[in-house]
Amino acid sequence: MYSDLLHALPEVFALTNFLAVIIGVLAGIVVGAMPGLSATMAISVLVPFTFGLEPLVALGLMAGIYNGAMYGGAIPAVLLRIPGTPAAVATTFDGYPMAQKGQGGFALQVAVVSSSIGGIASAFALMLLAPPLSKVTLLFGPAEVFWVAVFGLASIIFLLGGNPVKGLISACFGVFVSVIGSDPIYGNDRFTFGQLELLDGINIVILLVGLYALPPVIDLLETPLKTDSVEGEKLGTEPIWKALPKMKGYWKTWLRGSFIGIWIGILPGAGGSMAAFMSYNEARRSSKKPEDWGQGEPEGVAAAETANNADTASALIPALTLGIPGTAVAAVMLGGLLVHGLQPGPMLFRDNPDVVFGFMWQFLFGAILLVLLGGSLATNSFARLLNLPRPLLGSIIIVLMLIGVYSIHGRMFDVYMMLGFGAVGWVMDKLKFPLPPVVLGLILGAFAEENLRLALRIGRGDWAVLFKNTTSLVLVALTVAVVIGPMLKRRFIDSRKKEGEEA
Amino acid sequence: MHKLFQKSALVGAFVLAAGAAVAEYPEKPIEVIVGYSAGGGTDVMARTAAPFIEKYLGDGASLVVKNVPGASGQIGVTEVANADPDGYTLGTFNLPGMMARTIDREADYDRESFTYLANVVNDPNVIVTAKSSGLDTMDKLIAAAKADPGAITVGMSSLGGDDHFMLIKLEGLTESEFTIVPFKGSAPARTALMGGHVAMGILNISEVASFQEELNVLGVATPERSDFAPDLPTLQEQGYDVVNGSMRGFVAPAGLPDDVVAKLDAAFAQLASDPDFLQAMKDTANPVEVVRGDEFKALTSELYDLANQVWQETPWN
Repeated sequence: MYSDLLHALPEVFALTNFLAVIIGVLAGIVVGAMPGLSATMAISVLVPFTFGLEPLVALGLMAGIYNGAMYGGAIPAVLLRIPGTPAAVATTFDGYPMAQKGQGGFALQVAVVSSSIGGIASAFALMLLAPPLSKVTLLFGPAEVFWVAVFGLASIIFLLGGNPVKGLISACFGVFVSVIGSDPIYGNDRFTFGQLELLDGINIVILLVGLYALPPVIDLLETPLKTDSVEGEKLGTEPIWKALPKMKGYWKTWLRGSFIGIWIGILPGAGGSMAAFMSYNEARRSSKKPEDWGQGEPEGVAAAETANNADTASALIPALTLGIPGTAVAAVMLGGLLVHGLQPGPMLFRDNPDVVFGFMWQFLFGAILLVLLGGSLATNSFARLLNLPRPLLGSIIIVLMLIGVYSIHGRMFDVYMMLGFGAVGWVMDKLKFPLPPVVLGLILGAFAEENLRLALRIGRGDWAVLFKNTTSLVLVALTVAVVIGPMLKRRFIDSRKKEGEEA
Repeated sequence: MHKLFQKSALVGAFVLAAGAAVAEYPEKPIEVIVGYSAGGGTDVMARTAAPFIEKYLGDGASLVVKNVPGASGQIGVTEVANADPDGYTLGTFNLPGMMARTIDREADYDRESFTYLANVVNDPNVIVTAKSSGLDTMDKLIAAAKADPGAITVGMSSLGGDDHFMLIKLEGLTESEFTIVPFKGSAPARTALMGGHVAMGILNISEVASFQEELNVLGVATPERSDFAPDLPTLQEQGYDVVNGSMRGFVAPAGLPDDVVAKLDAAFAQLASDPDFLQAMKDTANPVEVVRGDEFKALTSELYDLANQVWQETPWN
């Protein structure tokens, strides 16, 4: 099996195949940096164009775009507090405060290096673990996936920050949005008001663009002459070789982020944003100075960016071996593989080893190229984004958002919906409602509902089906730990304080 | 309804007769509306067939595939139904899905809204069981279902689709009862089967052909063994007379001019025996069964009647 891996290598270095990866990474960074344009969208637009291309050229482009976009999303996240992709939401937490402190350049360097490390780790995971790990995913039936979703929803608690009630309301809004569309089992319309466009539910990209991109743009336009914004000169960019030694303390975060990202990628459905959130939370929990987080802690950027790139290749592990994509992007890529006659499954590795393993190498090289291409791009070109007059910048972003949302299905309905979510997002922002729980609520709410109902059908209505095997019980235990843990900790600290006062 | 159909066909023919007399169809690119995203099964069929249809239409004909995804194909097929019947808008058509849509929800089209060109793919249903279930023959499966009605869980891709109708036919034939577990698509259903989370599954032959080691494939719902996987026995061979499958083909709006229909029909007739096309379809896991014109229409009507009858007896939502 692994000798096939080496055998596939020379083909990857063929000029056109390698060029495809380079172009893919560059295009991915640009696409990722544009709010509203996601890797999923870029690859789905690309797939129809790849019919006439050689498989490795097509797959190289896809691998490059995926890697590039996962980092590209960090650029506006750091500079403007607008995540370019869903997965870059957690990057805004510390990236934007860093930019405001004049460390935007360093934040982007941390992001690109972390992204690259996450991507490399993920590519290795894909290469080495794909065959054995495919068996683990079989353990996850509807009951287990339901618990994964519940676990995810429970971990929103960490994201609630200051006001748990507002966080819960946000999460409920997200779950409500997930209910819109046809019922996952019977196909009944729910809250569609007769609109065919709503039957498939609300596309996550539409919600995200509206919620995350529009309010900051309105802010940009509201205060065109605001002078306390980040200036290009204040980016504080140093050459990357000088910046690198400052990052050597992050190895633990990189390791943890890579592990979390790879694991989340393998689990069906969760995807980059959840990986980034989890990695960020875990890194903050184990930090010696958690109070600095959210104020511009570079390690926060490292945690989020490592994880969101670490789920790229690993999301393809179940996709290649079982035909179950771990993320939306992986699902689109699966379509790309099918276009080239590559049927996912155990047979894939036997029948087309050169293409499959070549594709895995392309992921690895895409991740490595990210530092070279992204490093110079980020520090040289994209920093200039900040020197643009704010109304101009705002207008450009709005135009791109409109094009991006329109291009998902090619219909204005989506654009209007995005604008509606934008209005909601703007109000939420003003009232200080946190936005991340909305996104998680939308993704996980749908998962929890669908799988709970499937599990109950399997159990013929008996709830005991949810606690029937070890995998479920482990997930239940984790969920309980996530909910109770912080409460106990707070109690413990409080009682300690009291004791201290009494003594 | 039928009169209306005839009338509109007549009007359509009149309107286009003048144009057709001057220039041969097709004189501009033909749009093919696919109701699903790029890369899916229907999309792959359309894109694989397109260059061959171009070839047989001749005169530098060009087909442009346009994806209009949403509402399980309903948005795309509605657009086809409402398009001008001039031969420059064709669309893909899925059975029984497109007919079931007219029953389980409101649709802006019905079976008279189309000119039926050709069904191209017929992906027969197969009955599979999880390895861990121990049910490795049809007789054991049916016996288990009869012993404890509803105890056998059946994973499938959705309610109201070909898998669902297959199960209804099987239940009717064997007077047994199963518990349906409708996943979102066939890939998750297949994975749940491989993990042993459901006991039985109804899938399509293209979806299980490469999984014969991981699943017990009990039988194929075709009259004769499928060319696609000739080693798999049919259900009829085992005494269960069930034939069902998922069909994908091409339609145009109702009232297409006769000369256009004739040209397209000729192209599909040639397509059906083109070895390159058949190989390309085999490579993309699409079992081909070309059914043209009126036969295709009759097939659609038949499936509609079945779906309607099932709906009257046991509505699925």
